[in-house]
Formats: sequence, structure tokens, C-alpha cells
Amino acid sequence: MTDLAFSELQRDCLQELINVAMGQASDKLARYLDTFVHLQVPAIALVDAAELPQHFASRYQQQCATLVSLGFFGDSGLRGETIMLYQLDNVGVIAQLLGYSDDSASEAEMLTDISSVLTTTFLNGLAEQLENSFSYAAPRIISSRDDNFGQKLAYSAEQWQLALQVDIRYQLTDFSFDCDMILLIPGEAVLRLRQILDSILADF
Amino acid sequence: MQLDWLLHPLLSQINTGVVVLDAQYHVVFFNQFIARRADIELAKVQGQPIDKVFTDLPLAWLRRKFDSVLNLQVPAFSSWEQRQYIIKLPHLRPLSSDSRYMAQNCSMLPLTAPDGMSRYIVLLIEDATDAYVYQQQLQQSVVQLEQANRTDGLTGVFNRHYWQQQLGYEIQRAQRYQHPLSLLLFDLDKFKDLNDHYGHLGGDFVLIELSKVIASLLRDTDLLGRYGGEEFGIILPETGLTGAMQVANRICDKVAQHKMVFNQQGIKATVSIGVVSYTEQTVDELIQYADTALYSAKRQGRNRAVAYQPGLEAAIKKIK
Repeated sequence: MTDLAFSELQRDCLQELINVAMGQASDKLARYLDTFVHLQVPAIALVDAAELPQHFASRYQQQCATLVSLGFFGDSGLRGETIMLYQLDNVGVIAQLLGYSDDSASEAEMLTDISSVLTTTFLNGLAEQLENSFSYAAPRIISSRDDNFGQKLAYSAEQWQLALQVDIRYQLTDFSFDCDMILLIPGEAVLRLRQILDSILADF
Repeated sequence: MQLDWLLHPLLSQINTGVVVLDAQYHVVFFNQFIARRADIELAKVQGQPIDKVFTDLPLAWLRRKFDSVLNLQVPAFSSWEQRQYIIKLPHLRPLSSDSRYMAQNCSMLPLTAPDGMSRYIVLLIEDATDAYVYQQQLQQSVVQLEQANRTDGLTGVFNRHYWQQQLGYEIQRAQRYQHPLSLLLFDLDKFKDLNDHYGHLGGDFVLIELSKVIASLLRDTDLLGRYGGEEFGIILPETGLTGAMQVANRICDKVAQHKMVFNQQGIKATVSIGVVSYTEQTVDELIQYADTALYSAKRQGRNRAVAYQPGLEAAIKKIK
């Protein structure tokens, strides 16, 4: 199997690009939501996709967790899938913030809307940093409430070689909430991503 | 190679609805897919607000989606599973589907004109009616399977597995809320003789008939299940021992009076019933006590109901 590991330089570069993308995302979200949004510098970790289910199953143990998946495609073979993980308790508050105070939308719809706004805002920024642009598939809830959370995640993670785990903490004026975003990237796209990082590094 | 000529015929013939709106949500364009299904001409409605062009739109909901598309320049999506349709359009399977309108998967994408300033929203609509129809059929099958999974094939009452599971839940409920709960176990008297005399079909007939008679005597919240062979159980929520004995005696009377005819032969049957009310026992203990009371009812001459009381086991042993 091809070695998919990142060098320290590549990793730092990616962290930097993600930081910039996050900064842009929080700015956009703040203006859109008309409230102060602070996204902390996210901790990123590159992990073997096979280890993910165990990791998150223990992290979200005993809680009502929800997984929403959103696929993205860019130019030159860059593609992947993001998975957002939240505790369901948080969802009501976010929903209110996004203007869902009337109950015209189902819980499923709120979840997919929130996930798509949060991830695409960030991913658009990241694509820009990578001099690329992404198109997106419709978000899908892959697990909610009573489902077997770890198993669902295992099914999704099986398809992917590398997982970029990004812990995000959204902080707004009146409240804060934590969620996790996982970027799952298949092997070929990882190689492509490393090439892009290398060319960015070469420009410095 | 100049390929601009492709765009118009492609947009016309593509099997996806395309609607373009300006930043004020006025209709700028829609393709043939929309024009034919909605039966409107673009030239007649161009420039009008979207809610004037299409009626019954979920406008507040759409605005929220459109706002995020314009302000964040990110796509928004809507799935038929959450909202069956956005624009009421007919679909091409009017006969094989019970839905009147096309189920739709929609994407709303940001678009900027070449001037770099004017912003638009593209609404893409895909027909998901097939998926919707399959999903409906699947759901019906699941409901039927669930029903089959908890029903006794012969008598149509609950099967043992489901019934016993419900007993567990009812016990938990009774304990949590300190509400009364009673259990009846009953058995057809001399069922073996019935089978020998009328054949197994006759025996089955009696089981089916009596299940109906007894079910008609119960409340909606009571749970009648076939415990095995000719033995049945009834869970009576919110019912103490006195009430349970009344129900049991009524069942004995009605069954004894019920005349059945099988192959031109009249059949009469009776039941013996063991009654117990819940006082902190486990599922197994409760069933065992009811069984002891049922045994006692048999020993005392059948066609009667007996309430369980402590010491009944010893009394039965003495009779032996």
C-alpha cells in the first residue's frame, strides 16, 4: 500500500490553510447569522480511517449523537466526504439561531441544513486556499437517535484510507457548542493533496 | 471548437428542472422541463417574483434557504424525504403512484454573472417520484412485517414472544407509576378431547373462535396473547385483583355460553383461568403465580377463575 503519511512540513501547511479557511468561515457565518461567531483554531489530526469508529464511539458514548455526511468533489481528483458529529441536545439551539423558530422544518431538515451551511462555508474557503473549487452532494443523515452510531461510522470509514479529523468549537455570543468535523479522503486524493501542499510550500 | 450552441438544446432536453432567480427572487429563466410540467411560458412570467409564478410555495422556508445561498455563497439542498416537493408539478407516473405531485430532490446553487457583481440562484429540481414510490412500498412492507412478527399465525392474537415482551414493559410501567396491573392465564378445558373428537382442524377452529370472543370482551389497552398450544394470557393494565376477577369470570361465562358450529356439529368449550395481580414480582414469577392459580382452577373442576394467593402452591400439593 502506498504510504499516505504527511511530512511535518506538509502537515503544518495544511493546518495553516485550515486555519485561514476557518477564519473566513467564521467571518461569513457571523455576518450571515448577525451574531459574533468565534471559531477556535481547530485541532487537526491525521488518523487511519480504520481507527475512527472506535475513537468516536467512545467519545460520544451514552449521548444522542448524530452523523451527517456531505460529499465533495474538486478539480484534479481532489475529493472526499465530510462527516459532522453533534450531540442532539445542541441541535435545538443552533436551529433557533438559523431561524427555525417556527416548526415548519423537521429535525432531519434542520440537521442537514446546519451541516451543509457549516461545512460548505468552511470547505469553500479551503478550496480557495488550495486554488481549487468544490461542488457538493446533498447532505445525508447517516445516523441519528437510536441507531448504532459506531457501526454506521464504521461503514462510512471503510471506504476511505485517510481521515483528517478536525475538532471544531463554535462559539457564539450567547452560547457555545462543540461538534466534530471529519474529512475523509480516499488514497488517490491524499496523494493529490500532498502534491498541492508541496507546490504551495515551494512557492514560499 | 465552439460549443455554445450545445447549451440551449441541452438545457431544453435535460431531465432536470432548472430555475434561475435574481437576488430579489424574481424569475429570470426556467427550462422546458419546468415550462411543460407547470404549463407556463417563460416570456409571460419573466421578471415576476417566484411566488407569483408558482403558487403554494413554502415561501418563508425557501427564503431562508435562498438567503444562505446568497449571503454565504454556499449551496443549499432539499430532499423529498424531508419535503416532498417545493414546486407543485405533476409527475409521469400518475397511475402507479398514490402521490399527486412529483417528489423532488432540489439543489440551490449560487451563481455570479460574468460582471462579477450580479448574483443569482439556480434551483435544480430532480424527479424523485420513483424513489418515493419504492419507499412507500417498502414502508408498507415493513409495517406488515412488524405486524406479522408479533402476531400468532393461527388466531391473530399476539404471539408469545411479543406478548411476554409487553408484559415486561407493563410491569416496568406499573412499578414506576405505582399503578395496578393484573395478569390472566387461561387454558381451554379438555382440549385434547376436542382434538380427538373433532380432529385438529376442529381444535384450531375452536382456538380461532374463542380468541375472537375473548378479544371482544377486552379493552383496547388489554393485551391478549397465545402463550402456547391452547394456553393464552391477558395483560390487564390499570386493573387490580377485583377488576381482574370480574374480567375472568365474564370470560368464563361468555365462553361457556358461546355456541360454535364446526362441520355441522355444535361444539361447546370452557376455559379455566388463573388470575394474579402485580405486587413487585418479576415477569417469570408473575407468570408462574398465574400458572399456579390456573392449575388450581383445573383442580377445582374447571370452567372457573381462581385468584392466586400465597400458600396456593402448598394447598395444591396437599390435594395431590
